[in-house]
Amino acid sequence: MNKNLYLKELKRNRKNLMIWSAIVIGFTLMVTAIFPYMAEMGDNITVLMDSIPAELGKALGVDADTWSSILGFYSTYYSIYIILLVSIYTASTGATIISKEEKEGTSEFLLTKPVSRQTIVFSKLMSLFTLSLIIFAIQTITALISINAFATSSVNWGVFTQMHLSGLIIILFFTAAGVLISMFVTPKKNFMGIVVGMTFGTYFLNAIGKSAEAVEWISYISPFRYLEITKDPTVSFNYVGALILLVIAGGMLYLVNRVYMKKDIAG
Amino acid sequence: MTAIEVNNLNKHYGDFHAIKNVSIEVEQGEIYGFVGPNGSGKSTLIRSILGLLKTTSGSASILGMDALKNGAEVRELIGYLPSEVHYYDEMSSRELLEYSARFYKNADLSKIDSLAEYFQLDLNKKITDLSFGNKKKCSIIQSVLHQPKLLILDEPTSGLDPLMQNRFFDLIEEENKKGTTVFFSSHILSEIQRMCDRAAVIREGSISAIEDIQVLLEKQMKKVRVVFATVPEDKTLPIGSQHEKWNDSKLSFEFVGPVGVLIDWLSKQDLHDAVLVEPDLESIFMNYYQQ
Repeated sequence: MNKNLYLKELKRNRKNLMIWSAIVIGFTLMVTAIFPYMAEMGDNITVLMDSIPAELGKALGVDADTWSSILGFYSTYYSIYIILLVSIYTASTGATIISKEEKEGTSEFLLTKPVSRQTIVFSKLMSLFTLSLIIFAIQTITALISINAFATSSVNWGVFTQMHLSGLIIILFFTAAGVLISMFVTPKKNFMGIVVGMTFGTYFLNAIGKSAEAVEWISYISPFRYLEITKDPTVSFNYVGALILLVIAGGMLYLVNRVYMKKDIAG
Repeated sequence: MTAIEVNNLNKHYGDFHAIKNVSIEVEQGEIYGFVGPNGSGKSTLIRSILGLLKTTSGSASILGMDALKNGAEVRELIGYLPSEVHYYDEMSSRELLEYSARFYKNADLSKIDSLAEYFQLDLNKKITDLSFGNKKKCSIIQSVLHQPKLLILDEPTSGLDPLMQNRFFDLIEEENKKGTTVFFSSHILSEIQRMCDRAAVIREGSISAIEDIQVLLEKQMKKVRVVFATVPEDKTLPIGSQHEKWNDSKLSFEFVGPVGVLIDWLSKQDLHDAVLVEPDLESIFMNYYQQ
């Protein structure tokens, strides 16, 4: 790894990291702070939930229990919004971390330095995953503190840990996918649209697959299928699913390296 | 040991052959010119030996090392000045130069200030606020900080004003005296003449000649424009003139040959004005390398 390059990438992305961290912190605080008010309305909401078609409830990951504990409430938001927000940040950073040099013409500068392409890819990926872990840690710590603060009954932290571990793996998967996309899409493009489409798209593919048995297969395209984010303490951590996602992510990064090694850097 | 040795290098983009069987040999310590019109493959060759482009076939070694395989080690010894400079907009010149220097084992950061002063570059300005010429200055400084054994210059003077061009040439000559080999690519023949002992001429992707600069000079055409005070009776021009155009008392023509002959002839005329211009490289090639 080239330390000089690694540190420069961290520095270059620090402003973006701060903005996205602020968004994620704000959202986490908001979700947990709402809970006490929602819990007060508990009975009414149970009635409301009964009137929602079961398929829709399944697709959105909500049921009557959702409002009974803070973790249930939090898990609904975590599995949709928070994971997607963090993934959009990490995947879009991944999509630009190598391609930005090409877009701005600076890859000529970088690639005429005494570093191999492999070292460049590796150092950049290391910064990328450092940034991803930082934002994940910031969000997790915020959630820990605020769930603790707003909980109305005792919290099952084992479930919380499992939930976040699954979240982390999905985030890492999207991060790797972001880097891979940038290898095949022309660098002049704005990757944000692609990244938002990929994260939301796969989330809904999983939701559709879960709600209708006829199209269950469709959910297997989605990383969410392999790691269920749930408040249910009887569901144990899906090691196989986690392994599948990590292996695919590793494969994508290997492919990134292969493509980059052979690339012509245009002037 | 040769500084650069390129053997039968090819780079194809599909059916387009950007460089074809290029072979050159640059001795250590020389300033080697590399001339050719725009789009002739100069940059493609340079970018290939720097590892930016993956070559189709052939070999290239720099200071005895395989440049295509051990690029990272080879680049430790190279200073590269690109024709178009693209840097990180959010950095200041100083940050950029320090960042660049940290990639090398033996970069001398203390040289940044003295070189910036020499080239009148404001180190605190952000790259995004720098003009093309100032970015070029930044790039020049960047290319020499690590005491490279080989300097590869691709159109180095574009964007520099004449004063800075001269300072740049002085710097290059100084580096060369210290033993640095210089590979000087340009489409401006007079630069090559000033700096180099030998030059390779590239055209449409192939080396069409490797010449002594003296020979290149003799082959060089000059555009002559004169305004006569009295139009001469005898309108024969000196031997070596071509494409003459008369317009009342004005005459323009191209001249190839010993310059003394031209001066002799000019001195015998009754003139208001005389201009000798170096033609652009393209028209020289039209003349000499057509076949």
